[in-house]
Amino acid sequence: MWSGPSRWLRDTAVGYWRSGVLVAVAGLIPGLTAAVAVFGLSFSRSWSAHLHAPLLVRLVTAIGEWALAALWTAAGFGVAMAVLGRPTAQFLRRHGGRWLGAELPSPYRPPRPITKMSTGYWWNGHGYHETERQAKIEGWFMDRSLLAMRSADGDPQLRRDVVWQAVAAATVVPVAALPLLAGAGAIYAVTAQSMLWVALFAVASVAAAPFAWRTLSPVASRYLAPNPNATAEEQVARLNRIRADLTQTQAAELERIERNLHDGAQARMVALGMNLSSAERLVDTDPEQAKQVLREARASSKIALDQLRTLVRGINPPVLVERGLVDAIRALALDAPIEVDVRSTLERRPERPVEAALYFAAAELLTNVVKHAHATHATIELSHRRGVVSIVVSDNGTGGATATPGSGLAGIARRLAAFEGQVDADSPAGGPTRVSLTVPCELS
Amino acid sequence: MRVVIAEDHFLLRDGLVRLLEAHGHSVIAAVETGPAVLDALIDLRPDVAILDVRLPPTFTDEGLQAALAARREIPGLPVLILSQHVEQLYARELLADGHGGIGYQLKDRVTDAEQFLDALERVAQGGTALDPTVIAKLLGRPARADPIATLTERERSVLALMAEGLSNTAIAGRLFLSEGAISKYTTAIFTKLDIRTDDDTNRRVRAVLTYLDSGPSGPR
Repeated sequence: MWSGPSRWLRDTAVGYWRSGVLVAVAGLIPGLTAAVAVFGLSFSRSWSAHLHAPLLVRLVTAIGEWALAALWTAAGFGVAMAVLGRPTAQFLRRHGGRWLGAELPSPYRPPRPITKMSTGYWWNGHGYHETERQAKIEGWFMDRSLLAMRSADGDPQLRRDVVWQAVAAATVVPVAALPLLAGAGAIYAVTAQSMLWVALFAVASVAAAPFAWRTLSPVASRYLAPNPNATAEEQVARLNRIRADLTQTQAAELERIERNLHDGAQARMVALGMNLSSAERLVDTDPEQAKQVLREARASSKIALDQLRTLVRGINPPVLVERGLVDAIRALALDAPIEVDVRSTLERRPERPVEAALYFAAAELLTNVVKHAHATHATIELSHRRGVVSIVVSDNGTGGATATPGSGLAGIARRLAAFEGQVDADSPAGGPTRVSLTVPCELS
Repeated sequence: MRVVIAEDHFLLRDGLVRLLEAHGHSVIAAVETGPAVLDALIDLRPDVAILDVRLPPTFTDEGLQAALAARREIPGLPVLILSQHVEQLYARELLADGHGGIGYQLKDRVTDAEQFLDALERVAQGGTALDPTVIAKLLGRPARADPIATLTERERSVLALMAEGLSNTAIAGRLFLSEGAISKYTTAIFTKLDIRTDDDTNRRVRAVLTYLDSGPSGPR
């Protein structure tokens, strides 16, 4: 669409615009800081401007004035960073990222929740406060203030933002300023009626315009992009989430087993014991009645066994123990009320915990197919490639399976996440559905 | 009958031995492990063997594997497999050689001594005695375009009872029909499944096998 001169024209115009934006945004805090430094210094120096005193006194005074100016400058920089640091950096992440065709996600920690403690105080992640408002203000400030930079619970991105500003002030801002300064020089030269300088400045300005803003690229990818340590932090957060899920699932599972035993087999055994003792009592006086009671006892033991069998199947299916994943899934397929083909290239068994997780996931997928897909045929394929075991369950049903939170698919994904596993569902409305489970795992 | 037992739980093994001896059978070996049972089966050639699927040393499916291995050596060696759970998968594997003499039952069934001994007898005579649970699972399977699909509802239920190992008389009793009627149904079943042989026991085993193989994921 853009070619030749028109393209160059566009690049140049865009270059001027972007250079201007860069200088204004990236140069804002350095500019403010420099202004504070210059005015601060000239202000403090003015106090001793007319001082007539011995050299030593003047020297001490000068040091004090410089130190004061430095303090003001640091304070100015700190306030500017707290107020403008995040908005300017975010602005360049959003727009600069777009210019460079790169995704620069926000690297900041989400604001911490402000919670009321049982003591009545408010906790914002940094400290306790009497009112929620105070806690909010302090929390906002501590998330941004350079004072929190060295504290253990400060956002590590704060330090990186300072480095970004320092590097930008030394590289991006002066380079991006080149076409603008040269342009200004050309305009000044016009007023000075020096055509040679006009020409020189104009050429330099126009030549630099398409390229100057691109110094943003290497700097942005190093200092604006998320901190590699932040991804480690995310990793920790993810692992914590998985652990929480796991412990919760485990607790729920134990509870289910306990309830099942308590209401089922255990209760049956009590009834059985009672039946037997009454049979013992009746056997001499009323043998017929005793026989009847014993028959009931046997029926009761049969039911208890059935309940235990169902329970065991849900904890650790016997076929899985005896035969491993592939045959266990074959057994599932045989019991399904629809046609299920099982194909496998697995030669050995996955590690036991992974095996069980995959089995239950596949069983749940198959149950979903039978219950919801209105399918007449399903296929389950098992394979192992490059250290990853995958099970693909596909059916010829009506599709529309989604992994919305709370759905079965989301549950499977959560449970497999404990093994670094994944669930990918392809289920357009109208079908067919294809769900794949993948878990990194060595075979034994 | 001369019986070999393989069961690793002392109580059950002891109970089985007592039950069998009380009914006039002789237990010639009662072993605990997979390798031991295979040796016993091949060396002693019992009239019938009662095997637990899961045995030491690996506690996987030694009993089943021993049964299959022994039957490769001695085709048709009658084996009654006991397990805490029943799987169509195992039933197929046991019946696949087509020789009959296969029982596959839940352990619970031993609590009904009479039925259990009946089943054992049938197996020893070369028949089948599949647990009703396996049969129920089979019936739950979808009908397909195979010979089984051509059977009528009534013929299917007769076949199911045949798989359990019941005789025509017993089937007649269960379905409240005359023995003559059952005889007609069985003939129809054999014709539809294209089973032509004179030996009735063998015919019944073959019919059950066809039934098991009618599923989509039969042994390939």
